[in-house]
Amino acid sequence: MSRRAKGRAIRSQAKEARMETKLLHIFRNTPLGRETLLQSIYFCNITRSSMVIYIPEYTKFLMYFDNDVVQVDLDPSYLLYPETSRTHALDLTKAHGIDASFFEPRQFTASTLPDIPVDFDFMCSPRSISDLSSKISLGHIGTRVRRIIKTAQFPVLLTSPCYKEWTSILVFFGGSVNSVKAVRLGLHISRLTGLPLDLFTQVEGSQTMDDYKDRLKQAGLEADFDKRVRDWKVFADNGFEENLYHVPHQALAVLGAYGHGLVKDILFGSKMEVIQSVLSNNLLIVGPRYSAKG
Amino acid sequence: MKRFISWRVPTKWPVFRLDDRLLLIISGMIVGILSGLAAFALNRSLVFCLDFLHSYRAYWWAFILPAGGAALSSLFLSRVVNEGAGHGIPEVIYAVSRYGGLIRLRSSFSRLVSSCLTIGSGGSAGPEAPVVMSGAAIGSNIARFFSFNDRQRVTLVGCGAAGAISSIFNAPIAGLVFVLEVILGEWSTVNIVPIAVASVAGTEVSRLLAGNQIAFSHHTFHISFHDILACAGLAVVTAFMSVILTRLLRHMHHASDKTKLPIWAKAAVGGCAVGLLGFFVPDVMGEGYHSIRNMIEGVYEQGMTIAVVACFAKVLATSLTLGWGGSGGIFAPSLVVGSFSGLAYHRFLVYFFPSVPWVGEGCYALLGMAGFIGGILQAPLTGIFLIVEITGGYEVILPLIIISSLSATICYYFESASFYMKDLVERGQLLRPGTDARVLSDLSISELLEKDCISVPPSMSLREFVGLITRSRRNYFPVEDPETKEFLGLVKFDDIRPYLFNSMMYDAVFVEQIMDTHVAVARYGEDLSDVLRIMDSRGLFSMPVLANKRFVGMISKATLLDQYRKELMVQTYQG
Repeated sequence: MSRRAKGRAIRSQAKEARMETKLLHIFRNTPLGRETLLQSIYFCNITRSSMVIYIPEYTKFLMYFDNDVVQVDLDPSYLLYPETSRTHALDLTKAHGIDASFFEPRQFTASTLPDIPVDFDFMCSPRSISDLSSKISLGHIGTRVRRIIKTAQFPVLLTSPCYKEWTSILVFFGGSVNSVKAVRLGLHISRLTGLPLDLFTQVEGSQTMDDYKDRLKQAGLEADFDKRVRDWKVFADNGFEENLYHVPHQALAVLGAYGHGLVKDILFGSKMEVIQSVLSNNLLIVGPRYSAKG
Repeated sequence: MKRFISWRVPTKWPVFRLDDRLLLIISGMIVGILSGLAAFALNRSLVFCLDFLHSYRAYWWAFILPAGGAALSSLFLSRVVNEGAGHGIPEVIYAVSRYGGLIRLRSSFSRLVSSCLTIGSGGSAGPEAPVVMSGAAIGSNIARFFSFNDRQRVTLVGCGAAGAISSIFNAPIAGLVFVLEVILGEWSTVNIVPIAVASVAGTEVSRLLAGNQIAFSHHTFHISFHDILACAGLAVVTAFMSVILTRLLRHMHHASDKTKLPIWAKAAVGGCAVGLLGFFVPDVMGEGYHSIRNMIEGVYEQGMTIAVVACFAKVLATSLTLGWGGSGGIFAPSLVVGSFSGLAYHRFLVYFFPSVPWVGEGCYALLGMAGFIGGILQAPLTGIFLIVEITGGYEVILPLIIISSLSATICYYFESASFYMKDLVERGQLLRPGTDARVLSDLSISELLEKDCISVPPSMSLREFVGLITRSRRNYFPVEDPETKEFLGLVKFDDIRPYLFNSMMYDAVFVEQIMDTHVAVARYGEDLSDVLRIMDSRGLFSMPVLANKRFVGMISKATLLDQYRKELMVQTYQG
């Protein structure tokens, strides 16, 4: 290898190292919490993200976003067995080669109300911040989780109820602004992980494939798209829900949410609601405030 | 449809094409009106509760009324609206100080309900702090709805607080001064105009709905020189009482924290104690405006000893109510304690110097109020303007200035921060705009990262390394494991200087031999102030930043200074 080529390789290594991402995980010292932590560990390992674990001491905390403040009221199960929670979390992370750091709140809005920083790249959350078995099944996303998705500038990883590895990435692309952000995020994760990326499009109304391609082109994703996308699953027939069967079993599903207003949601329904109630895959959800990377 | 969609997004409304200042003034007026309405609603609710429970106060079991009210209030806060207890104003100051005035929507009503339960049942607390919290939350959420920036949001929070105080006391200047002195801590032209407009709006709402004499009636006093001299003594008394209330309240908080009881039960214990105290000294019950009115009008009948006892009893009752979990503020109790102090002091003067023509005891009650507010809040201007507006004239301005300033100064020697700010100062959370701590807190390591460093493997020869140096602009080279990408150490340009002019060494020396493996590192999520502390203690100008054991960039004091200046300009921008 020539000296110049070697220099280029070294610089590209440096560039790769710059893409440091952080995931926030709120640990619950229960079997369900363990499954969720395992999903986070897998995500961090595969995306080379560092992990910040918060073991709550109070049942509520605040997240101050740019233009909103969200109070997250945790289920009391998050405070169970505090004497073993740190050990359990450390055991799991160390066993999977993750050097996790533990977040200790320094800022308190009130004496029992800590503030959690929001400068993370991802946040992992169960579908509901609750330990009731009826609420951890498909078809239910807790109100607090919804609020975080709506307000956060980072995507939220909604884990499947049981630990499940993923070996490919699938992005739901419907042409909206949020779904373009989802594609951008999918490409970013594909670059980080080297995993194949698939797209899923349900053709709606009078839209044609050219329309969808145009949107990607306008977003400047064309070149990267051709390089990284393995398969674009386009469905013009059957219902959306029926076509979801074609989502690979071991895929991380990336999708946008809350991209349009309440009226449209009520009239036409929300794709995210359908997806989360049908798919048991891990979901990486991009909210309206997410500022896309990559 | 297009028109409808554009109206759905508030930031696209035509009003937002207005000048920023005009927009802020209009928004401030709306916030002031809403705060005034909140203050009026709480005032009327309190009157209703106190009237409703009045007939039951004669019964022997009446002491449990404040207990029930405090317990219900605590349950409402902790179970229904899921808010932590607190006085309200420190939370507003904290939100302004750290998060650009972001306050939860639920705070716009939660403290109104909880304080109504606490005070209405007889607990010793004030309605001002809850109304300030409510007004501030209204301002914050209006700003959020219209996607205002941080500075505009902070101004609207101030508008809400000013509207609330102005409305309660029928005193617009006091509202304005309170916000600038206590809540915002900065006097800038950008803030003053909208907050002044909000104060006027809040006052007008109260005048419209409740008439021009809201809290206390106007009185004029003729002050003599000996009264002005006597103010120095009253300042010492009010400062002493301020310190006692501040410390006793904190002591009660700590005692309550150590008690293993449910939150509502703790509040009930405090309420019960206040109820029992109220049997012997009825003046301690409720917000205490009735006693203040009697004292100002000079119709308080009890003697000096009773006034002294009532003064201490009110301090104890307030500490029991708020320290054990009741909801409310200390503003009204401060006025009561201050007026009792002034009254007792006046009677002391009359007793020992009967031949001196002292001004009426109502004036001393007012001066005591100003002294106490100046002391406990360490906000002398608020005390001065509040009393000036209550008395409706400038006759008492000289003694007011003396007593407020002296009391604040004396208190400062015993308590370095005001009651509202003490906890925030102790936790390092009071960050006023433009201060070093605030600028640093608004910067993060990720903003300061210098990412143009070239990583090198440990096996690289010096020859290759020298070649790399010629293409690099940096003096630091992180060494990474080529397999795991973990950070192994750092090579500084100075480290290779001895070998640079000895080409014989070029193929004999490798990076791993010259790298520094004991270099101080910062973690990606670490607090900037902690990183700076390490840099200062070790005399470093640059430090590598690691995340998950991998190098992500360098942080240097030069970049920090650059960003610091930019941030300072943003924070102190007056345009």
